[in-house]
Amino acid sequence: MLKFQAINFWGSIPYLILALFVLPVIIIISSLFGEWSENWSHIYNFVLFDYVSNSILLVMGVTVVVFIIGVGSAWIITNYKFFGKNTLEWALILPLSVPPYILAYTFTGLFDTYGTANNLLRDLFNLQSDYAFFPNIRNIYGAIIVFSFTLYPYVYLVSRSAFLNQSQAMIEAARLLGLNKIQVFFKLAVPIIRPAIIGGIMLVSMETLSDFGAVDHFAIQTFTTGIFRTWYGMYDINTAMQLASMLLLFVGLFLILERYSRNNAIYTSKSSTFRPIKLTKLQGHQGGLAFLICFLPVFIGFILPILELSFWAFERNLNFFDYKFLITTQNTIILAITAGILCSIFALLVNYSIRFNKDNFSRHAGSLLSLGYAVPGLILAVGIVQLFTWLDATVFVTSKIVLTGSLIGLIFAYIIKSYALANSSIESGYERISSSIDDSARVLKSTGFDMLKKIHFPLLKTSFLTSTLLVISEVTKELPATLILRPFNFDTLAVSTYIYAAEERMMQASAPAIAIVMVGLIPIIILTKMIRTSRPGKRDYE
Amino acid sequence: MNNILEIFDLNHSFDKEVYVLDNINLTVKSGEILSILGPSGCGKTTLLRIIAGLEKQTNGIIKINNKIVSDQSCFIPPEKRNLGLIVQERSLFPHLTNYENILFGIKDLDDKNEIARDYLELFKIDHLKDKYPHEISGGEQQRIALARSLAPSPALLLMDEPFNALDEKLKIEMYAEIKKIFKEKKLTVLIVSHDRDEAAFLSDKLITIEDGSIKEMLDTN
Repeated sequence: MLKFQAINFWGSIPYLILALFVLPVIIIISSLFGEWSENWSHIYNFVLFDYVSNSILLVMGVTVVVFIIGVGSAWIITNYKFFGKNTLEWALILPLSVPPYILAYTFTGLFDTYGTANNLLRDLFNLQSDYAFFPNIRNIYGAIIVFSFTLYPYVYLVSRSAFLNQSQAMIEAARLLGLNKIQVFFKLAVPIIRPAIIGGIMLVSMETLSDFGAVDHFAIQTFTTGIFRTWYGMYDINTAMQLASMLLLFVGLFLILERYSRNNAIYTSKSSTFRPIKLTKLQGHQGGLAFLICFLPVFIGFILPILELSFWAFERNLNFFDYKFLITTQNTIILAITAGILCSIFALLVNYSIRFNKDNFSRHAGSLLSLGYAVPGLILAVGIVQLFTWLDATVFVTSKIVLTGSLIGLIFAYIIKSYALANSSIESGYERISSSIDDSARVLKSTGFDMLKKIHFPLLKTSFLTSTLLVISEVTKELPATLILRPFNFDTLAVSTYIYAAEERMMQASAPAIAIVMVGLIPIIILTKMIRTSRPGKRDYE
Repeated sequence: MNNILEIFDLNHSFDKEVYVLDNINLTVKSGEILSILGPSGCGKTTLLRIIAGLEKQTNGIIKINNKIVSDQSCFIPPEKRNLGLIVQERSLFPHLTNYENILFGIKDLDDKNEIARDYLELFKIDHLKDKYPHEISGGEQQRIALARSLAPSPALLLMDEPFNALDEKLKIEMYAEIKKIFKEKKLTVLIVSHDRDEAAFLSDKLITIEDGSIKEMLDTN
């Protein structure tokens, strides 16, 4: 209801930023209304079916596996007490720090015919040098395993949170009505949290569809590898954009499902009737089985790749602190910190604006900004390149190339992609500041930038730092957008890992890969802290 | 005595269907303490927020110091109305010390430190100046909030259920002390309360609101 002149400037912020964010996407979609070249006919006749079928098979396979691992482990953790439970409760999210492409590289190094695991077993059993214990991993089934064991924490986190909110009274009522423990799980517990599970699975599906590094390494023809090849192989950006539009439609579908599920995720028990779930103690072989089920995903998704990367690093006598590694690390740090701070500032400004401009349009604009996480990095990169090329040709025509190939495009892509992370942190920080603080400040003549600087920012310092750290971690892992948008000869840790892996120089790839995983641990530490403080009956880290 | 606050034919609706305030007419004279009494949800806090400029009324005119601050064509924002505001939560800025809280509204004045010291003395809170709001008791926080609101010398002090969060014993202690200060300083105060005894003790005049309309006006003197 409040319409103050002084706030009009602030009120326009979500719209301005939204306009900036949607430009690359609009450019991509507009390609559908342009000319369809001969290359498109070739793609349509020979490879499009593979792109679609592989992408669908990949998403379906990953969906099944992450459902089993994520929901199963969350149920065991929230309902049973067994040896190692407290550690596994947070350790189960560790694989989130390993990007799928790094797991793909380490799995190749481990399970290839002459990989570490096969070599070890051959030596152990004194077998012929071409004997392989493990089947070929570089195929779509290997990719399903890689994506599943790095992305299942999304499903685990939402399922755990939802299971924690289920009341013991409800479970007891079901038992009295004749359901055994397994039936309670399948007929009651899982159906009730179905929206949360679907939401988690949609996130996993979007991540799977967006990935480039892992599918490229396994030579699987999907939309992302297709877009990359059409652009860099056929030099046909228009057809690449048309392919990107189709991928965007797929992602859009998953996004709608995810949002729909989130809106229907009413699985919190009313506080008055809520009784936390009573943990059942498992001992002996039952406890051992529960431990094994929860430990296996952590082992495959985190411990195994870390062991392999460390093995490679030691094989090189820890010789990776060379000049190139330091430059690459420096580039990554500069980029990640810049994007982290800028993204957090954007989120701060948008949330500040929404706080005062209480109309629904601003709120919707703010929500739309968070959808950037769903746009695959590759698509963003293609859109931004086109946008910047156009701007250089029209606006900056006298100074020739200003934006194209500069770091601005890269940071712009990172901000769009990571905004949701920054926003979630700043938004939850703002929820803790009472509106009466604002009222008091305004009556004491503090408004606009003054209130932001003197009241809100000091109170949001922790949220701002958390937001910046989360974005830094995301940016460090991001591969496809970096690969396309980086200035000439400007390598980051992710690009360096990709290039070494593409050249089959796995040992050299270990140093940047370990660094990426280390930075990836930042959000895990934050999440772990939240898990430890999360209580039944209260929603946490959704 | 001149009028500090005048309200004419004020109506307010959040959804343009149900009116939470209906035909409010009100005057507060200089140095007067007026309490608005009524049950929860009767619209008294909304009226206070409208006077402060934190909400805009649907219809009606508000004048402060004989100047229209809000009507159909004009709206002066809260920071330009020269008001003080105390709410139930006290809303002290938690990242600032108590002294910095008091200085907050007078930071541009040359004699800000003298003013802040005067209020620290007046409310007997000098020993708390370097502490943070979370380090002091509820009653002490209320004193800091009062000092912060009065330091800029507001034309009108608005108080929304100011003593609600305090225990009974402390409330009674504070009533007498606060009323004495208000009268000594000749402050014009508008208090919103649901406690009839509190309103009767503190104020010169008392009005009762029910279902958004003024039902009763009493002179407590």
